This record gives sequence, structure tokens and C-alpha cells, in this order.
Amino acid sequence: MKRSFVSVLAVALVFVLAVPLFGQSYDPMKFKSSKPQAAWKIALVPKDATNAWFVRMESGVKRYAKDTGINVFQKGPPKTDAAMQAQVIEDLIAQGVDAICVVPVDPSALEPVLGKALSKGIVVIDHEGASQQNCLYDIEAFSNEGLGQALMQVLAKSMGEKGTYTTMVGNVTNASHNEWADAGVAYQKAKYPNMTLLAAEPRVEIMDNLDTAYQRAKELFKKYPDLKGIFGTSSLSTPGTARAIEELGLKGKAFVTSVGLPNENKPYLKSGTVQAVMLWDSAEAGYAMLATAVAVLKGEKIANGINLKGKGWESMTFAPESTKVLLGKSWISITKDNVDSFGF
Amino acid sequence: MISIRSMTRRSEPYVFAAIVALSLLIQARSGQFFTGNNLVDLARALIVPALFSIGCMLVIVSGGIDVSFTAIASLAMYVTDKTLLASGYSGSVLLAYAMSGALGLLMGALNGGLIGFLKLPTLVVTLGTGSLFTGVMYGVFAASASDVPPAIAAHGKQTLFTAVNLESGLTSNMPSQVLILVGALVLVFLLIRYTMLGRGIYAIGGDEAAAERAGFSVAWIKLFLYSFVGLLAGITGVARISMISYADPSTMLGMELTVIAAVVLGGTRVTGGLGTLTGTIFGVTLMTILANSLILIGIPTYWSRVFTGAVIIVGTGVSARQIGSARRRVRTLQKEA
Repeated sequence: MKRSFVSVLAVALVFVLAVPLFGQSYDPMKFKSSKPQAAWKIALVPKDATNAWFVRMESGVKRYAKDTGINVFQKGPPKTDAAMQAQVIEDLIAQGVDAICVVPVDPSALEPVLGKALSKGIVVIDHEGASQQNCLYDIEAFSNEGLGQALMQVLAKSMGEKGTYTTMVGNVTNASHNEWADAGVAYQKAKYPNMTLLAAEPRVEIMDNLDTAYQRAKELFKKYPDLKGIFGTSSLSTPGTARAIEELGLKGKAFVTSVGLPNENKPYLKSGTVQAVMLWDSAEAGYAMLATAVAVLKGEKIANGINLKGKGWESMTFAPESTKVLLGKSWISITKDNVDSFGF
Repeated sequence: MISIRSMTRRSEPYVFAAIVALSLLIQARSGQFFTGNNLVDLARALIVPALFSIGCMLVIVSGGIDVSFTAIASLAMYVTDKTLLASGYSGSVLLAYAMSGALGLLMGALNGGLIGFLKLPTLVVTLGTGSLFTGVMYGVFAASASDVPPAIAAHGKQTLFTAVNLESGLTSNMPSQVLILVGALVLVFLLIRYTMLGRGIYAIGGDEAAAERAGFSVAWIKLFLYSFVGLLAGITGVARISMISYADPSTMLGMELTVIAAVVLGGTRVTGGLGTLTGTIFGVTLMTILANSLILIGIPTYWSRVFTGAVIIVGTGVSARQIGSARRRVRTLQKEA
């Protein structure tokens, strides 16, 4: 009994002590480096060192090193694991790097270690971690709204801007998938009056599983013969749905698009079942993160319209009501013509 | 023995009735259930869970529980997939099945050894090995979603026949993997009906001490059982990735709970000794129809989990009550005798 009271007290104390760590805000201008540029060391920490997506990101890091001559390098955990990622950052702090760029596995799990980095004067830049407190800036490849609109443009073009469609998300609880879908539907209502959202089944979930996407697509096309398009979000929606479209004999009559990886979609892009999937390029994202860190180290003011140099990252805008989260327009459409050029 | 069995109120008829009712509901709501292509789609969706459920049923009948079979299937198929990709293999898919099956068998043998010879509790062992196999897949092999080698991709395109829905013109292909399911059903039917080994699995589940005294070598039977389940899981792994031409290491993880629910729904007694192939197939069929017809019924996505959960609770509850009341009656009869 007594011991449990002590442990409750200890946990409470940890939270009380942690509050200032989470709440503190830092002035980016104070992170201007007094060292010469040649002595800077900047690390980029991906979620996972072996994943093809982040291997591609490293190619952007290497290009940045070549373009600028600054000492930048990528170092990540061997697998996607929040605790291992925190350890990598601890090691980098001990090595005395000047800036850490990170793609967090779990932003909240990194707050303590990133707080420690900031308190030691290390620049911290996030990517895909808009909820991160302990960072100077978080840069996002696109706004959820922008991507949703771009996906709808692709789908509308495939469908000839008319007919019934529905939306497909990884999970109904996935915040970004639902925001893309909402934005896509709003855009359709504004721009494509001859398209209609399937009222009976406006949002389908695929449990982040390709086979489920395939099964759901089959059900949808069986139940709703008028259905012509599927607005996918999760990268598994297109290969799953495209397989269903081919098997059902609906090629050319039903269409799908979503965010997607080149290799997974290659057969369907080549066969013409899918016209395009959307993606952002991790190499450009890595390049832009480093450019942000360097801008802060140089003492440059980060304002709307700043050019972070990666493709699609040339004119960044702050997210509404934020002085921290910067949004780009960095999506590319993958078609049968460029699908072979990515290496993943 | 026979008199007790005939007194046992079986749950197959109830599950079968539920399947019929659900089918009629779907037919009424969509007009699509009893169409050739829909039935082919369901048969296709049934293959993987049904293959898993056969092994799962045997384990539960033996008085155990296995939660590691999806991890075994995932690791076996992933290693097979990567090895064949790396070696540029372009021969028959049979090698993929053999390799994945052998890997599965080895992993199953680890379960069987720990459970049979060290006499460790089955849930603890399989939770541990399941976590171990998943860990090896993500840790040692740094698994991420991958392409499949040409042999497996070509196998995924093999179809037995194509069902055409004349009204809508939609077509569905019956994948050749369904033959594996048929083969496994025949094999296990022969095993439990005609071999001493098969009878031993039931005997252990009924009463382990009695089975031991009756001359069954319990440890060896368990080693065989878990190895066999591993073999089936390894084969199922390749069947799964070939049907979607995509080796996603996480695609089967989590299915174990639905499969166990389906087996229990099919009337297999959780405490062992009782269970049939027919019941198991009924159970897994019901779950598969349910999982793949909610859109046809017209249930919005947000309600689909509620609906599925309710059917599992009601279904397994009814099965458990049937068996419970049957056992009470047996006990009273035994007392009277």
C-alpha cells in the first residue's frame, strides 16, 4: 500500500517536472550558429534506416552534401521503433551535432529527448510530426487539403468528370486519410457538378490491408452498378482496387487513385487500369529539411514564401494559426511514364 | 462413447441455419448473394481463414490453444519470398510451397517440443513464439512489404474457372489455391477419422491422463500436431501472398483471433476433446460471409464492427451454451448410472 502510494507520487512528480519541458517555446533566431559553416554537423534521423522510402530520402541528403559542402548525414534506427529512435538522437546529442532533422516515429515519445537537444542549443526540425512541441519547425510536404484536391483532380480526369464515386480510407480513425477524403469531396462539390458521392456508402475502410481493399472494392462494384470511381487514400487502396477492377472485367469503366508507391502500382499503371497515383518524394523532403536547418543556423528569418529548395518545396506557407508548421506543395503524380524512375 | 455423442446437442445445425439466414438477408438486400461471381468471391475469401482454421481446430480439440500460427505463416512466407526473389528463381511455385511449409514445420516443431516435452502451457508458449517469430521477421529480416517472385505471381494468376454474372457482366475468377484447401480438408478428414494418431488428438483433449494410460504417447502426438499446424501455416502463407501478388509481412497478423472465434463458433469445445471439420468450415464460412458482405447488406462502415462483434458474441455464446447444457445432461446421466 505504502509502496504503491510512493510510486503514484513518483509518476505524478515526473509529469509535473515534464510539463515545462513540453510547454517551453524557443525563439529560432537564438539558434544562429557562431561557428563557421565548415564546422557544422547536421544529422537527419529517419523512422527506419532500411526502409526503401528512407533509403530514397538519404539520396536527397547526399545530394545536399554535394550541393552545399556542409557536413550532413543520415542516421536512423534499424527498424521503426520510437525507443530506438530516441536512442539514436541521444547519441547524436552526445556527439555534439549542430542540428537534428527528424521524421518522428511517435512525436510524443520524442518530446523529452528533443527538449534536451533544444536546451543544449541544437536546432531541431521535424517532418511529418505536426504535433511535435519540442522542435523549431515542422515541415510538411503538403497540406491535407491540397493533397485531397490533387487526388480528386486525378480521379475526376479518369472518370471524365462525371459519375458516382466513393472514398476509401485505411481506417476510419486515421486522421490524415479522412482529411484528404473530406477535402477531395469538398473540391468535387465545388468543381465537378456532374460527379456524385455515393450516399449509401460514402466512406469505406480497408483496415490498412491490400486484400481487404480488394474485397471491399469487389463488394462495392457488385452492390452499386453505377459506381465509377474510388477515391483512395491509403497506398494500399489502389493496388487492391485495381486488382478487383481487372478481375471483374471493369477495366476502362471503373477508376481508382490514391497515394501510392511506384512498385506496388507498376503492373496496373502499365496495363492502363490505373492512370496515376500521387506521391511525394522523400529525397526532396530530406533536402528541404536540411535547407530549413541551415537557414536557422545562418540566422535567416523563416517567413511565408520561404524557399526550401526541394522540388515542390520552393514556396512554403505556414499552416493556419501556426508559426511552426510549414506546408509545401510537393506531390508528384506517378504515371506509366515515370514509374520506373524511383527505385522503390 | 457413442451414446454420449448422440446425446450431445451439436451446434452445426445452428451455425448452418445462421449461414442460410444471413445469405437470404444479403440476397434480399442486394440481389447479389446467389450469383455465380459472388459465390466465387466468397470461396476465394474463404481459402486463407479456412486453411488456418483446420489447424486451429485440431489444436483446440487437443485441449490447447495456438495464437502463433499467423506469425509462423508470415515469417515462413516472408523468408521464402525474399530468398526466391534474391536468387532470381523462376521455376515452379511448388518449391515456394515446399520451402515455406518446411520453415513453418520447423517453427511448429518448436511449439510442439516446448508443449509436448517440457509440458509448458500452450497459450504461454504460443504467445511467446508468436512474438518471437514476428520479432525475427521485423528485426532480423527488417521486413517491409515486398514484391513476389515470378513463380508466385504467375501462380496468383492461375484460375480454375471464371464465373460470369450475366446480368451485370461482372466476372470473378476461382483461384487455383482453392485446391490446397480441398486437399488439406481431405487429408485432415482421413487423419482424424482413420488413424490412431488422429484419435489420439481427441483422446488427449478429452482427458490427457486417461489418454496416457490408454497407451497414447502424449508428447509425440503434441509434437506432431504443432509441427503439422506449422506446416499448414507455412503453406497458407504462400497461398495468401500469391492471391494478392504482394508480400506484406503484416497482412495475416491479427487474423488468429477471428480464426479462433470461427472455430469456437463452429462448435469446437474450448476445453478440448470435441470438434468437427464440418462445424469448423461452417464457422469460418459464416465469419467470411459476414466480413465480406456488410457493404452488400448496406451497413455503413462505421457500424460494421458493431455488427460483426454482435454476431461473434451471439454465435459463440449459443455454441458454448449448447455444449454446456449437453455436458450437464451427461453429468446427470452419469450420476444416475
